[in-house]
Amino acid sequence: MSIVADHLSWGVRRKAIVKDVSLRVTDGETLGLIGPNGSGKSSLLRLLAGLKRPHRGRVTIHGKDIAAIQRRELAQSVAFVQQNAATETSVSVRDVVRLGRTPHRSALSGWRAADQAAVDGALARVGMTHLQHQSWLTLSGGERQRVHIARALAQSPTVLFLDEPTNHLDIHHQIEILQTVRQLNVTSIVALHDLNLAAMFCDRIIVLKDGALVASGTPETVLTEDLIANVFRVATAVSPSPHHGRPQIHFHAGI
Amino acid sequence: MNTTKTLGLLGCLIPALTAGPALAAPTSYPLEIENCGETVTFEKAPERAVALGQNSAEIMLLLGLEDRMAATAFWPNNVLPELEDANDRVKLLTVEFPTLEAVLQQNPDFVAAMLTTLMGPDSKVAKRGDFEDLGIPTYLAPSACSTTLDAGDAYGSRDQLWNMDLLYKEIDDLARIFDVQARGEAVIADFKAREAALREKFPEDDNLTFLFWFSSASAADDAYLGGGNGPSGFIADLLGGRNALDTKAEWPTLNWEGIMAADPKVIVATQVDRNRWDLDKAENKIAFLESDPTVSQMDAVQNGRIVVMSGAAMNPSIRTLYGAEEIAKQLEAIDRAQ
Amino acid sequence: MKTATQMSAGLRLVLLVAVSALVLLGAVAVATAIGEYNIPVRTVFLTVTNHLGLTSADVPKIEASVVWNLRLSRSLVAALCGAGLAICGAILQALLRNPLAEPFVLGVSAGASTGAVSVLVLGIGAGAVSLSFGAFVGAFAAFALVALLSNGATSGPNHTILAGVAASQLFNALTAYIVTTSASAQQARSVMFWLLGSFGGVRWPQFYLLAIVLVVSLAICVLMARALDAFTFGDEDAAALGIPVARTRLILFAVTALMTATIVSQVGAIGFVGLVVPHAARYVVGPVHMRLLPASALLGAVFMVIADIASRVLVSQQTIPIGVVTALVGVPFFAIILYRARPQA
Repeated sequence: MSIVADHLSWGVRRKAIVKDVSLRVTDGETLGLIGPNGSGKSSLLRLLAGLKRPHRGRVTIHGKDIAAIQRRELAQSVAFVQQNAATETSVSVRDVVRLGRTPHRSALSGWRAADQAAVDGALARVGMTHLQHQSWLTLSGGERQRVHIARALAQSPTVLFLDEPTNHLDIHHQIEILQTVRQLNVTSIVALHDLNLAAMFCDRIIVLKDGALVASGTPETVLTEDLIANVFRVATAVSPSPHHGRPQIHFHAGI
Repeated sequence: MNTTKTLGLLGCLIPALTAGPALAAPTSYPLEIENCGETVTFEKAPERAVALGQNSAEIMLLLGLEDRMAATAFWPNNVLPELEDANDRVKLLTVEFPTLEAVLQQNPDFVAAMLTTLMGPDSKVAKRGDFEDLGIPTYLAPSACSTTLDAGDAYGSRDQLWNMDLLYKEIDDLARIFDVQARGEAVIADFKAREAALREKFPEDDNLTFLFWFSSASAADDAYLGGGNGPSGFIADLLGGRNALDTKAEWPTLNWEGIMAADPKVIVATQVDRNRWDLDKAENKIAFLESDPTVSQMDAVQNGRIVVMSGAAMNPSIRTLYGAEEIAKQLEAIDRAQ
Repeated sequence: MKTATQMSAGLRLVLLVAVSALVLLGAVAVATAIGEYNIPVRTVFLTVTNHLGLTSADVPKIEASVVWNLRLSRSLVAALCGAGLAICGAILQALLRNPLAEPFVLGVSAGASTGAVSVLVLGIGAGAVSLSFGAFVGAFAAFALVALLSNGATSGPNHTILAGVAASQLFNALTAYIVTTSASAQQARSVMFWLLGSFGGVRWPQFYLLAIVLVVSLAICVLMARALDAFTFGDEDAAALGIPVARTRLILFAVTALMTATIVSQVGAIGFVGLVVPHAARYVVGPVHMRLLPASALLGAVFMVIADIASRVLVSQQTIPIGVVTALVGVPFFAIILYRARPQA
């Protein structure tokens, strides 16, 4: 079991945003996290990654309670890719990816072969080696997202969290990125908006509604017309795709 | 006989030679002076003195020391007319704050300063040590060191009316340093007499209030006035009156509505020599007072009780007394006319 | 094994350091040799070597004092202040993720003015306390207020900047209030002059104080240079990279406040250096802080020494306020950088 979450609860002021969520993620699986806006996806993701502390409940990664681990130690195996991380500084692609080695380097340690290998490998993985000297500011949205993923990969993580990594991207890039994530040998938890992409690329899917977990399982078991109507308030027809065998969701216009 | 005549002549001459203030004793060097918390030693009377600050310079000129002054600096106002000739014989470094290098280049053997901003621990120009370490004695005006040394002292405290005592001490100290005691005592006696004369000529008058108008950026802006227990309060008191503004602040600003409400008996329009604002000039102040439809309704303006005074008098210095005399002369003329 | 750009950035740093160090040495030499007092170069040289114990020649006392106690200490202090302000600017620009951030954005200089005025006008400390000490305390009071309002500077860059604005306004108002109600004309003028920023009042004691504070602070900042880089994409990103965000921010802000407060309390507020120099340094060596901080320090030192020389010799018999010189030089320089670095459409 890579990740185990027990009765996680969290809220802001008096509003509960994540309500008593428990889940398990197996080693190497790609878990999709879906739900409408405001369902608590982003917050749950951050609770699982240790970026927020739950009011109640706990998270263990590889058997260790993350609340008891130092931030730096956690970052050596857990990486997080934000939705729209931006900067105005003219950093080079290479410098951005090198940031991923931060948890592995102490204040004054030099640049080691292992660091270099991680960075080179990460850049190659996302296909950005040819642009590594360019300024991050000159990249397109898709390229930027790939660089962020490369940075996360440079952390040599065993667990990877991605918060809606495909927003604002061309469909070509969306599929490319999700394919990359799926092929990685790490446990991945991906928050997604697009139900069809979730169906195509995730081993299992978790559905959140109003902060509570309402379904968990394979895409086939979770993505039913009833659930979709209940959670997403839209009428659909769901059938196995003749191309990839996974569920294909057809949306009905109007009711 | 010739011897008797010679003795007789000598007998007449001796009293003549020794005539003069019987109190004036020559300085014996080395002279030690307590000054602002330091003991300063003078091996001889200075011959190349540098005066940092108008008041220090004017006192030295009053003591007739222009030939023993190497240079002066920092003149916020024009020099006293009666000292102009003497001052012309002394080199002027700058009317602004000088640089330490410029001062040292004069090869001084004595440096006197008017403000701690010119010479002091927090000064950006010079510290006393800069000169003392080179064997050059220094002197800081007593009125300048009060706030930093003794919180209850005359200048730092706003609770007592300013007076000329610290100035007299300064004149006395400088006279001793330069070994011109006679002259120093004469100057002090003269000032004291003039002070007394004013007090006598102007008995206390409860109705006499003064408004000291220093300057304004423009007619519509708040006016910079003199107030509190500073020099303007002293001048008003000398002339038997008081400041029309009942404030402790020394440099209050007030709009014309407030000034009209204070309804001063006499308005003092100062002549400030710096040329920054139109209203620095006394004549422009008077023009405004007489032409503005609202302000000209003031009782003082209607009755022509506007007097002019040099802005230098608003700084605590010997010019304060001169300023009081300036006003006194004009007040007398007004009274005679009415 | 480093790639071409890696080496190029490192090489650029080495070149910058070498050139700056030489220029700095030259600038300090020039600053020691020229000034209002006309001193022959031979005297200047011998004075320095005398003090270093290399010679024992006979030099006129006044001239030797001018060279060693006035000019040399002054130019070295200028170098230290330039370096310190530039580093503070670089750090704040990274922490606040705002290219317009500069050392005085957190109200430190406004606090210093209130502290100085309290000592000078209100007589706080009863004469036992110097203006500089009062200014330092005031500066730290302002920092404490900003830290309180911004929750240890963790409430986000914009919020922190607003807290800095609030502190600046508050302390500036306090200063104005004290000056208006309690100060004599002399005192008001002294305060203005003191605050304007000037190296005229520095001697060797100021150098020692600044040297200690700045060297220690620089060491701490260099140790945290990696952490600074991690803030490139924001606080959350930095946390995800393993940086203890709250602690790091607080330490860096505190060190910046310490450096700025020390500088302001000794020489007043000198603008533009902290804003412009980090951008210039970034233009040459890039944004990675392990290179940016040393580069900023050196460039800042050179800039300030040259600016101080200019302020002393441009107008005879007068010293132009150093803040005016840094602005006059800084603005066109800044304009060139902005123009060169404008994003291509």
